[in-house]
Amino acid sequence: MHTFASCGTLLILDPDEAGLRLFRSFDWNDGLFDVTWSENNEHVLITCSGDGSLQLWDTAKAAGPLQVYKEHAQEVYSVDWSQTRGEQLVVSGSWDQTVKLWDPTVGKSLCTFRGHESIIYSTIWSPHIPGCFASASGDQTLRIWDVKAAGVRIVIPAHQAEILSCDWCKYNENLLVTGAVDCSLRGWDLRNVRQPVFELLGHTYAIRRVKFSPFHASVLASCSYDFTVRFWNFSKPDSLLETVEHHTEFTCGLDFSLQSPTQVADCSWDETIKIYDPACLTIPA
Amino acid sequence: MQRLQVVLGHLRGPADSGWMPQAAPCLSGAPQASAADVVVVHGRRTAICRAGRGGFKDTTPDELLSAVMTAVLKDVNLRPEQLGDICVGNVLQPGAGAIMARIAQFLSDIPETVPLSTVNRQCSSGLQAVASIAGGIRNGSYDIGMACGVESMSLADRGNPGNITSRLMEKEKARDCLIPMGAARAQSKGCFQAEIVPVTTTVHDDKGTKRSITVTQDEGIRPSTTMEGLAKLKPAFKKDGSTTAGLTVSDVDIFEINEAFASQAAYCVEKLRLPPEKVNPLGGAVALGHPLGCTGARQVITLLNELKRRGKRAYGVVSMCIGTGMGAAAVFEYPGN
Repeated sequence: MHTFASCGTLLILDPDEAGLRLFRSFDWNDGLFDVTWSENNEHVLITCSGDGSLQLWDTAKAAGPLQVYKEHAQEVYSVDWSQTRGEQLVVSGSWDQTVKLWDPTVGKSLCTFRGHESIIYSTIWSPHIPGCFASASGDQTLRIWDVKAAGVRIVIPAHQAEILSCDWCKYNENLLVTGAVDCSLRGWDLRNVRQPVFELLGHTYAIRRVKFSPFHASVLASCSYDFTVRFWNFSKPDSLLETVEHHTEFTCGLDFSLQSPTQVADCSWDETIKIYDPACLTIPA
Repeated sequence: MQRLQVVLGHLRGPADSGWMPQAAPCLSGAPQASAADVVVVHGRRTAICRAGRGGFKDTTPDELLSAVMTAVLKDVNLRPEQLGDICVGNVLQPGAGAIMARIAQFLSDIPETVPLSTVNRQCSSGLQAVASIAGGIRNGSYDIGMACGVESMSLADRGNPGNITSRLMEKEKARDCLIPMGAARAQSKGCFQAEIVPVTTTVHDDKGTKRSITVTQDEGIRPSTTMEGLAKLKPAFKKDGSTTAGLTVSDVDIFEINEAFASQAAYCVEKLRLPPEKVNPLGGAVALGHPLGCTGARQVITLLNELKRRGKRAYGVVSMCIGTGMGAAAVFEYPGN
């Protein structure tokens, strides 16, 4: 199943023989900016909204949401459900410059993390290090936080521009990537954050989202205000693998399928969602 | 507004260029309808039949006009005396059909207190009628009006240009006004059930025998038409012959461009780089015919019905070339379901 969160509506889409079927849709009275699937229940997911709240939905139930979490004072732009077994933790990043930690079974946040000096655009759990998450902000820093220490561990002035997205490498627990308004993607090794370990140039406008591939250790994808989605292999000297130009507006959402090593989904201000297998992923590297 | 500011802040130009986008008012962005908007409430039309040979070949235009006037008023449950004005587009009747149309009004039991005028701007007459009524509403002359377009190509005398001076031969453009219009046509099937008003009329055969028929569909069905068949039709003009007939293209969903001749419509599509799937999606004059005074009104009805079927907020354009060297176009906004 695929979920897409757009202004005020959550769409649950299910691929079938005919293509893509609308399984269910949920409405919210403000824009929905991000969505994350539960790690312990395949029907459950959480969205975050422009009104500062998070919503918990169950796709098996037509009415919804099951729960609303309202604490952030401004738009919540990012939400991520931790993959750690045993604990159910969700992290949210807001334009109110705070990150909040939640247990979905508890109505109030467990902890609020302060430090960023501008809008937070992205908060992502490390897939390797328990209790560790990264955040990207308009204050031009990438920050690494530790839940147990309830505070920030590393602050990286990663760009001289707003950072709109970040992601962890699934194959190297020390490696992250940031995507920024300066049109560049930079790789960061937490063991030495003085300079980036790679820089990927090619996008002609700000990068809205970046994701490391779950299947290829050095492959990542980015989407941008320049309407394109680009695929990169940072271990190659000629790192740009492919540029996909199938949207007619800002391309703002992107993810790799966890089921298919060749499939990607993206979405755009042109009001379309596209699910496809780019050539660079289908041809063996 | 803050969300817009945040996004604008992401749109810097190339590094060090100092360039920033500026937000400016967008004419296609006005979201709220206002009480001052002029809106098209409803429209109906008769079928279009073949000139000279079809179901309406013996039907006078006042009968056709009266059928749609009655149907429209009944559909919206409007008492005829509530109309502030009627304007009828027509080309071939004497005086643009001023007497014919007034007769149609009375056949439909619209009282004499409702004024009526006719307008002849050649091929755009039907659209001009819409513009005239919209103008009357906008300038506050009345709140509700009816715009129509009607033509009988079968019965009208197309050869009489009226009383004109022989001095017209001294000026090329004046001379060109007399060039006759005509083209071979292929036809294909359209589907317009909701908008067509059935009309019961009589047809005379060769022996003069009268027969009563009810016309419910556009004529011109030739399902065996193929590209090869079309290519064999004699073109109306030689290859290098003379003559013939705040928003951007991407903002418009449908273009109803009158196909006075196939070449003219094809030229528009090519020159303006219009996506072909946006142009005359339900067929144009090549399929349906071009009853001169009626066409503009027909295009408006077809356009608005298709926008309504599609459901979302969208813009549509109605356009035609006009004999004697003019063009006309109108933009309509459908607010969405």
